[in-house]
Amino acid sequence: MTTLSVAGPRPRPDAAGRPRVLLAPVTITPSKPLTPSHLKGLLWTDVMYRATRPLADVTYRYSHTTYHRTEQTLGFWEFLDRGRGATDYDDFTEERIGELYVAFRAAERAPAKALLPYAEAAERGWVHPVSTRVLRLWSRHYAALGLHDPGLLRHQPPGLGLDAALERLTGLGMCLDQREVGGPAYLDLTRFGLPLRRLVTADGRPNYLACALRELIPLAPDFDEVVLLYDHELDSDYAQLERVLTVLGPRVRRVALGRVPIEGRIRSARHGGWRGLHAGTLIDAARAEHHEDAVRLGMRLYFIAVLGPGRQQSFRSDLLLQCVRRAARLLDAAGADPDGTALQDRLAQHRKDHLHVNPYRLTSHLLGKRRTAPADDLLRTVFL
Amino acid sequence: MTTTVAPPTQDFLREREAVRIRAARPDLAARHDLSSLDGLMAARSDIAAEGDTGSVVAVVLRSFDLAAWVRDTCVFALGVGPEQAADWRTSFTRTVFLAGNPEQLLERFDFAHVADDGSAAWTAPGPAARTSSLRRLLKLYTAPAGVPARPDVLVEIPRAHRPPERPRARRDLYVATADCTISEALVHVNHVLAEAVLDGLVAPGDHLVVHQVPRLVGLPARLATVRVTTEKHFPGRLKAAAGLTEEAPVA
Repeated sequence: MTTLSVAGPRPRPDAAGRPRVLLAPVTITPSKPLTPSHLKGLLWTDVMYRATRPLADVTYRYSHTTYHRTEQTLGFWEFLDRGRGATDYDDFTEERIGELYVAFRAAERAPAKALLPYAEAAERGWVHPVSTRVLRLWSRHYAALGLHDPGLLRHQPPGLGLDAALERLTGLGMCLDQREVGGPAYLDLTRFGLPLRRLVTADGRPNYLACALRELIPLAPDFDEVVLLYDHELDSDYAQLERVLTVLGPRVRRVALGRVPIEGRIRSARHGGWRGLHAGTLIDAARAEHHEDAVRLGMRLYFIAVLGPGRQQSFRSDLLLQCVRRAARLLDAAGADPDGTALQDRLAQHRKDHLHVNPYRLTSHLLGKRRTAPADDLLRTVFL
Repeated sequence: MTTTVAPPTQDFLREREAVRIRAARPDLAARHDLSSLDGLMAARSDIAAEGDTGSVVAVVLRSFDLAAWVRDTCVFALGVGPEQAADWRTSFTRTVFLAGNPEQLLERFDFAHVADDGSAAWTAPGPAARTSSLRRLLKLYTAPAGVPARPDVLVEIPRAHRPPERPRARRDLYVATADCTISEALVHVNHVLAEAVLDGLVAPGDHLVVHQVPRLVGLPARLATVRVTTEKHFPGRLKAAAGLTEEAPVA
């Protein structure tokens, strides 16, 4: 099972009664280069997906369509068209587009009315060429890194419209909808002691949490476990999302990842400042000296096992390249599993009381001091 | 043809506001010349600068219906004890309106009054700190829409448990809706009603007839109490935002 189309068949336990797992990572606004923080999240999710697949029926849901409706995307599109008119973005680099995005974030916000035509078109599957360009560039990075493509360029609408999602929440006693008096609509989990969280602004703009609910409310009941992967900064929103999804049936697991500081500072991509540190440049630098498999494994070793889930260590190019060299040695030494243990059993060791495999534990295991050479079935299935 | 009384004059509005300030805060009345507009404005700005220091009520609103809310506001104010009432009066019946669903909050918070349909709830008047956890959990109520048109409606204040000490009276509540959002109307009507109740103008069993008019002009009866604000587009002039008429016996 790969990425789910809402109209398509829902996953069911297979003959062996395998559990059903939904991986739902936070998406990245297609308006800029992929920074080390982004790469960390993508690699982490990919290892989780590929390592869990032999053990469960896994759906990796990652729909840009769902999140185009957020202001940072629609506003960017409107900002570009207003300032530049029709432009061919096909020869723009990610850095150039990222600079435009930084300018957009620094500019005054457009009124909600100006975003309406974009919102309506995005609902029908239209994507501004600037984001198509970015997603095409990202697709190349995905291919270079051996990342599973969950449908970056595919139209994957959420299962519920905004009103329907709010209605479902109201039915669950979790919505405070004050749009009738010109006010916002809120996610209301105050009975659990969680603060009221706005979902739709008074002028009608939904935020990313509203988009996530449109997507995940209809999906969640079909799964035994839902894994939410996101930036640590979004913890309070995801705690709320967990509450909602839990009442729909599945066990919900939150995996919060710390961003990667650059020279000791954690910066949001909205401020730019990637200074050559992004997926394109990092892949090129690594591939200049090493073969593709070494780069793929080395990136995973660095962004997962070395950096870990926290955010203590600043990004270091030298350590990344060291990991790629280490990966090359591991690949040279790789062979069959010495004990003849089935791959599924080896992967299952890296779970606790959850269904998904923990990428940190699995990847760190490769670097263990007393480890013998890694098994090549594991490398092929999960890391290359 | 119905006879109408003259619209409230600037002098009348200034005088009413001066009376209100003098009653609640004699100290402020001593500091400022409340017979002049400038003095009045200076006193109001002092009040605004005091912020959260005095007694405050938090009203949690899930949904808004003017007539039902008028009734519940009176019921709540009638239940405020004399000591709390005096403190609240001193802070000009300061009230914060919060967006929230009372039904979700009943287990965690004590409310002095909750509307029967759960659409609104009131905390007892008290120091702002007492409502701080409620305020952290909720957001300020935002209702930028205009007050929706509706016919005049009779609101009966319940007789409560104690017998009324005087014959039941009827008053008309006028609310000026031109260029007025629901959020603003709430503030104005809340002050008019809370202060009228605390001052004994509205008692259990009374009838209030709620009228929405663009402005408080062309009214058939004189105003006994009025909420004074400033004209949005004419800052030097005062405006009657809401008011209660003199009492009449219940027919």
